[in-house]
Amino acid sequence: MKTAVLICPGRGTYNKAELGYLARHFPDRSLLEAFDSQRRAQGQPTLSELDGASRFSLATHTRGDNASALIYAATLGDFLSIDRDNIEIVAVTGNSMGWYSALACGGALSAQDGFHVSNTMGTLMQRSLIGGQLIYPFVGEDWRPNPERRAALLALVDDIASRADHALALSIALGGMLVLAGNEAGLSAFESAVDPVQERFPMRLGNHAAFHTALQAPVAADGRERLSSALFAQPRLPLIDGRGAIWWPGASDTYDLWDYTLGAQVTDTYDFTRAVTVAAREFAPDLFIITGPGTSLGGAVAQSLILAGWRGMGGKDDFRARQDETPLLASMGMPDQRATVSKGENS
Amino acid sequence: MQAAGQGYYTIGSSGHEGMAAVAAALRPTDMAFLHYRDAAFQIQRAEQVPGQSIAWDMLLSFACSSDDPISGGRHKVLGSKALNIPPQTSTIASHLPKAVGAAYSLGLARRHPPEHKALPDDAIIMCSFGDASANHSTAQGAFNTAQWTAYQSVPMPLLFVCEDNGIGISTKTPKGWIGANFADRPGLKYFPCDGLDIYDTFRVASQAADYVRKRRRPAFLHVRTVRLYGHAGADMPTTYMKREEVEAEEANDPLLHSARLLSEAGALDTADALAIYEQTNARVERVADEVVTRPRLKSAKDVMASLIPPPRACKPSNGPTAEARAAAFASDLKAMQEPQIMSRLINWALTDLMLTHGEIALMGEDVGRKGGVYGVTQKLMSRFGPSRVIDTLLDEQSILGLGIGLAHNGFLPIPEIQFLAYLHNAEDQLRGEAATLPFFSNGQYTNPMIVRIAGLGYQKGFGGHFHNDNSVAVLRDIPGLILACPSSGSDAAMMLRECVRLAREEQRLVVFLEPIALYPMRDLHEAGDGGWMTRYPDPSERIGFGEVGRHGDGEDLVILTFANGFYLSCQAQKRLEAEGINARVVDIRWLSPLPEDAILDAISGCRNVLVVDETRRTGGLGEALMTLLTERTDLPHTRLSAEDSFIATGPAYAATMPSTDGIVEAARKLSGAAS
Repeated sequence: MKTAVLICPGRGTYNKAELGYLARHFPDRSLLEAFDSQRRAQGQPTLSELDGASRFSLATHTRGDNASALIYAATLGDFLSIDRDNIEIVAVTGNSMGWYSALACGGALSAQDGFHVSNTMGTLMQRSLIGGQLIYPFVGEDWRPNPERRAALLALVDDIASRADHALALSIALGGMLVLAGNEAGLSAFESAVDPVQERFPMRLGNHAAFHTALQAPVAADGRERLSSALFAQPRLPLIDGRGAIWWPGASDTYDLWDYTLGAQVTDTYDFTRAVTVAAREFAPDLFIITGPGTSLGGAVAQSLILAGWRGMGGKDDFRARQDETPLLASMGMPDQRATVSKGENS
Repeated sequence: MQAAGQGYYTIGSSGHEGMAAVAAALRPTDMAFLHYRDAAFQIQRAEQVPGQSIAWDMLLSFACSSDDPISGGRHKVLGSKALNIPPQTSTIASHLPKAVGAAYSLGLARRHPPEHKALPDDAIIMCSFGDASANHSTAQGAFNTAQWTAYQSVPMPLLFVCEDNGIGISTKTPKGWIGANFADRPGLKYFPCDGLDIYDTFRVASQAADYVRKRRRPAFLHVRTVRLYGHAGADMPTTYMKREEVEAEEANDPLLHSARLLSEAGALDTADALAIYEQTNARVERVADEVVTRPRLKSAKDVMASLIPPPRACKPSNGPTAEARAAAFASDLKAMQEPQIMSRLINWALTDLMLTHGEIALMGEDVGRKGGVYGVTQKLMSRFGPSRVIDTLLDEQSILGLGIGLAHNGFLPIPEIQFLAYLHNAEDQLRGEAATLPFFSNGQYTNPMIVRIAGLGYQKGFGGHFHNDNSVAVLRDIPGLILACPSSGSDAAMMLRECVRLAREEQRLVVFLEPIALYPMRDLHEAGDGGWMTRYPDPSERIGFGEVGRHGDGEDLVILTFANGFYLSCQAQKRLEAEGINARVVDIRWLSPLPEDAILDAISGCRNVLVVDETRRTGGLGEALMTLLTERTDLPHTRLSAEDSFIATGPAYAATMPSTDGIVEAARKLSGAAS
């Protein structure tokens, strides 16, 4: 029996390659139909329609009100596909909206309520679409920790944020990357202040709002209005949130869980790096399983483990060597890795 | 881990799990000075602060890994910067006086918020200890001080928590003793609870915390616990307790009681409780397997890296305005134009320092209304008010504890020990508490302060041993402690300023030893010459740490000395000069750590070295100076030290210590022998 921490991905992970992911992998047809019913009732295109579309549309599939639901369902489907006879899930965490998925995988929300929460919050964010996000690395391509560089970039963020009419803040601490969020003035000021690196960064994230910043306070308030604390139950698995706090089964205050999920989680920095660090240090699993959709979160998980000095890893080469020897990460978005942890269709 | 040789000395918390309920009743901003059996308290507090990795952190501590986030792998302590738990070993309840001081600091910080204030105004302080260590005189002194303070309605928001497991190693606490002792003390409200019942403990601890927080008065929470698996290490309780007694204790395991209570409440059935227990065991084993791979300290340099705390950034100050100085000093400003005695110059230096740094507070016996038994702190209470110049009760442990505790909340305390001989009953507060704090916390916690002590011999008309103690041995071997000792008024003012800088900016623990006999000294060679009075140096002038003083530039002989010895040697120097022996007198000033290079530099070019040491021959400063000279020079050297004796009252008051005649004679012999 292997132990594993489950990691649920956030926005931006259902892309062209993921089209048809639910059709290929979702293990429970009736549950998917239930999600579709919720969507129909809201007058939204169903997941089956979106996932079954003949072609991927950036404009349609990455909208918050569609992407959140697709990603949530893909995540939950992957979770349900894990071979639990041979893998013991010891804790669950997630990145950004992956927190809503984590709540459902960990049992604090039912599958349907989790869908309701994800879909509602994704829809609210799309409706208001306040501000935007960009991503920029503070480690090089060797992934070696560079705390001075990180501190310098965050000082720049503070400096920009202090200017009149500029809003900019750390949205997500994402391993070796900083996801920054703010208004157009703040984001543009950062983009013009830093050097382009790795031919991609700084990179704007399309259809994303200024998640996890104070700019989202109206969305949080709206969410609290629409989503009752009664939806939340005791988790069945330990949950690690975006501050690195652990919500223990049987010992969690469900009102506090609701309050965090639709409060600080929405308006404060999401520290995914800390969540992964706590997952490693407090649960010491054999494996970190990153559910689909997508494969892009693996780098951030590996970088977070490197930043935590986990098992003495100091950079990308150490991680690769270890991963080749005894895999530490299993990304369900990759067929070969999926086969090592799932009980079903691809193994 | 221990069985595999990967875990080191620790002391168990089993049986004291009810302390988790006490933690739950408090806020993580309530600074907690913990008993060594309080792992459950720290684990629960970690639940109150997001992002903690408490299993990892504690196991790193058990493994003595340099990654251990509190002590850096140096020592088994409970503690956490993020959780407001300063570390200490707490073996003999010597952490209680500083808890009293920290509690006092909360009220003071409301009125005079210091730059480095660490605690919110509505915080309370918690300290815990066992039933056995509650008997310790240090603990009793702390209870008494808290009560004495609260009795006068001075705020003292302090929660004492006695974890009563009924036994201290092998000696049982008399049945009912803690309750009988503490139920009816003046100024201290008593709250008993059953630590085996987490509901009762949480309910009563919440009431006690609420009382302390709202009333700003101390309370005594008496928690019944059991001790499981013996005292510590290899202790086998069956060697001094009947087997049935040990088994009865084990049957009272708080974990079993908690599982029963949760089951009765319908919150957790026993199968689920067992599952949590087994999952937790497995989890901790997995974490332990990772932790033992983490690095450990290896060298002396590694171990010693946190003896001296890191510097901290302080706001710059231009000092007080001319108006503020004029208002504070009044007629003293005019007197500053003339040479004055040492006690006045120290008073003025303190005044300037207190005007410049609002976080300085003075405390001690008779320092306020009376202005000190030698007048050194005269007028300071009227200049700065009774909240910054505190007349304490007669208990040196409490005075030092008050200083240490104030420093935990960002103040810069200047406690006074009235006479050096009175330090000895309290010196563990410096040795075991103040000096060890950076060491145990890897420099994360500090308690910078300047302890002023009036001491050394040669008072003609006063005292005897207890007012003329000449032993500084206990202050010289404390790692990290700086011992400064001036010999003149201007040196005293400039050194005191440097000591304040060292404490304030470099977070150092400093003892400023003031030679009593030189406080009023006016003349050097003959009556009326005014040779030992000095002008008050400009407030910008300091004597740097390790900078020695030098009188004369003779090369026949150098006299290496300090304090009264420097005074006497300057007298001798003149007589020697008349005899054709050109001597140089070097004032060491900084007695610990010895400024070795500066001393060697100051004696260079001299042909002989005479050490004049007014502390005792055994354990005195002379031993270290002779060692230095032997190890690092080829110069002929000898010493004149005080005898291994106590100081007499009456005409023989100075008979056991170096005299001017004795110095002249020794100098003659040394330089003659070498010529």
